[in-house]
Amino acid sequence: MKEYKEISVALTGNPNSGKTSLFNGLVGRYLKVGNWAGVTIEKYEGFLKYKGYKIKFVDLPGTYSLTAYSPEEVITRNYIIEEKPDIIVNVLDGANLERNLYLTTQLMELEVNSVIALNMYDEVKAQKIEIDFKQLEKLLGSHIVPTNSIKKEGFKSLLNHIIRVHSGSLTVAKNKLFFSGEVEKNIERLTDIIKCDQNLANKYHPRWLAIKLLESDQLTYAAAKERVIWLNIEKELLDIIGKYNDLFDSSPAIIIAEDRHSFIRGAVKETVQYPSEIKKTLTDHIDSVLINRVLGLPIFLCLMWLIFQFTFKLGEIPMFWIESFFSFLGKTVTNIVGQGLLQSVMVDGIIAGVGGVLVFLPNILLLFLALAFLEGTGYMARAAFVVDKVLHKVGLHGKSFIPMITGFGCSVPAFMSCRTLKNRADRITTMMIIPFMSCGAKLPVYILLIGAFFPIAYAGNILFAVYLFGIIVAILSAKFLKTVVFKGESEPFVMELPPYRMPTIKAVFIQMWIKAYMYIKKAGTIVLLASVIIWAACNFPVNREINKIHAERTHIVQYNQMLNDAQKEKQFIEFGRSDAHSAYYDTLQSLENIRLSKQLEYSFAGKTGKFIEPFIRPIGFDWRIGISLVAGLAAKEIVVATMGTIYSLGANDEGSSDLADKLRKDKKYDIATALSLMIFVLLYVPCLAATAVFHKEAGAWKWTGIYISYSITVAWVLSFAIYHISKLFSV
Amino acid sequence: MKMTELKAGDKAEIISFKARGEIGARLISMGLVKGTRFKLIRKAPLGDPIEIMLRGFFLSLRLSEAENILVEKIGHSHSS
Repeated sequence: MKEYKEISVALTGNPNSGKTSLFNGLVGRYLKVGNWAGVTIEKYEGFLKYKGYKIKFVDLPGTYSLTAYSPEEVITRNYIIEEKPDIIVNVLDGANLERNLYLTTQLMELEVNSVIALNMYDEVKAQKIEIDFKQLEKLLGSHIVPTNSIKKEGFKSLLNHIIRVHSGSLTVAKNKLFFSGEVEKNIERLTDIIKCDQNLANKYHPRWLAIKLLESDQLTYAAAKERVIWLNIEKELLDIIGKYNDLFDSSPAIIIAEDRHSFIRGAVKETVQYPSEIKKTLTDHIDSVLINRVLGLPIFLCLMWLIFQFTFKLGEIPMFWIESFFSFLGKTVTNIVGQGLLQSVMVDGIIAGVGGVLVFLPNILLLFLALAFLEGTGYMARAAFVVDKVLHKVGLHGKSFIPMITGFGCSVPAFMSCRTLKNRADRITTMMIIPFMSCGAKLPVYILLIGAFFPIAYAGNILFAVYLFGIIVAILSAKFLKTVVFKGESEPFVMELPPYRMPTIKAVFIQMWIKAYMYIKKAGTIVLLASVIIWAACNFPVNREINKIHAERTHIVQYNQMLNDAQKEKQFIEFGRSDAHSAYYDTLQSLENIRLSKQLEYSFAGKTGKFIEPFIRPIGFDWRIGISLVAGLAAKEIVVATMGTIYSLGANDEGSSDLADKLRKDKKYDIATALSLMIFVLLYVPCLAATAVFHKEAGAWKWTGIYISYSITVAWVLSFAIYHISKLFSV
Repeated sequence: MKMTELKAGDKAEIISFKARGEIGARLISMGLVKGTRFKLIRKAPLGDPIEIMLRGFFLSLRLSEAENILVEKIGHSHSS
């Protein structure tokens, strides 16, 4: 076997610099996706073999800077400092050099071995921008390779540069960025102090550490505080920062940043020639329509509507296939193994569980196909721009809108799409309120109850009111969470509106597959397990007495039928299947339904329903509703199916008129119960699949705990209020 | 004047800004420092946030963030 020498390479660059498509183009199918430890930011790794080398690539998150404020920035700098990759490839958007170089100046401060990929070189040429590569290389202290990640141009040259810089056969003197007079002296003095501590100086580049300390960078403060030398450092720092504050009404951080920008401006002036006449770009033209003051909102709403239809209406078709397939599978298995416990485990437990997981897949694929496309074109940032004001009012971010809208279809993809929210407080708050957006699975419950208790004329209004109620609760919850739980934590809305670009099909599909894969891998296993547990809770313990009585009754009915059959054999031949015969099957079915109903009452779920009855009686529910709510944790549609079982009607008639009839005639239930139940189903913990995805995306038991207790509390309190208010009116 | 007082099409230069902490750091890393020239491209349909062009790219920020930035108007061009 051939021995490969390894080179580790990390890709860094601004968002929208084409870094990810460069990465995808380089590593092809050797792609591994994980998560960075402790955060919900995807980690992409891959490798390629080239000229006897195995070059391992890590795609670091896109960042504009290396401060300690955002998790992306922290990941990037920690990776560079701690993992010490052999080569850093700094990907720049060649058509937007000035802004992209800000990150480059900070990489210069880290004094790492780097190669610059001047990406989107086709746009540079199209815009007639001329770059003096030699001089720019000298100023930045790094080799520059023009690339075009979409057309895979410049890749060979980039790889050759990586290998040659690594082996040392290609060098360029590292350039140091000197700061203006006073700051430079401060940096040098601090560097000297830091150098006294060998350990600290070995771990961090001393000059970089000095700069970061002067910038009041919290993470480096924390690292330096652990050292004895901190006493000397702190004294010096306080001295310097105090002086800047008093004399210039400024801070070293601002002056350092200004110096970096002046360096960049100088470097660009010296090496880049822009055409004298700047033409309006395609982006200008598109934006003057898409986000103008009159059309901006209608276009946005239209696009959201399209995404929603695309995801859920189009998704219905494959969802139907998946459901049909699993019900076919269930029937086949039943035919093979026959009725009984084994059949029940396989069909109602495992097949139903796997089906319950996979049934969301079409939604996830379609939603993320649409979102990856919109993100890739650059519209996503515009969507946030257009709608931010509304959401900012309740303390959220413009980007929260898409997850919230998606929540009306299904919470599962909605939670997953929250990843576009970079700020933790914004993300968790949005996730907390998504379940209040009434999802598609809750609709059968409303239809059943509205059908049973309200005149047809009001049905539409009541349904609308329920949805509206959910939205209001969501808005108030956001306001509450942002003012109480996440006080003051909010992402500043300083966001680039990137130029419109056509995303590659490959990039869009990779994004889609990654989401689907993550869902199946993580949520799939948990949901499957939970489905089996809920199945067990509804079926165990088995009551032999119920089965015995059932067997006896069935036997009697069968025996009578045999007698009948013998008597009426003649008529049978003449008239075919008689009424008496179909009545016979109905009787058997209703006996089976009674058995199922009794068995469910006896099961763990039934006992839980009875156990919680004292807690739910104040909101108008009895133990039968209790059981349905417990079973409804598996999936909201099951609430209706379980009520069917409890009322001995069989479980398969979702929202059937028989069940509505039974409910209406039940003395215990009235309009107040119906309203209370609708509100409770709307607000209480969503299904297990959603909860599992929530847990995975939130990343801590603490949030899952808050989320479960918060939704149950809100559901109970509001149902209580609704129940008693409507009782007052109905008397 | 404050950045929020500019109208669509106005060109201006940043004189100073008071934002510290995360907002300050974000503004700085996007290139909003003293001396930077920019043009106010448009306001969002609902009036907030605003979009500016600086250093060859487009940036949006909320009025609450723009309020901390003091600018001097240096011109106006109609073609936004």
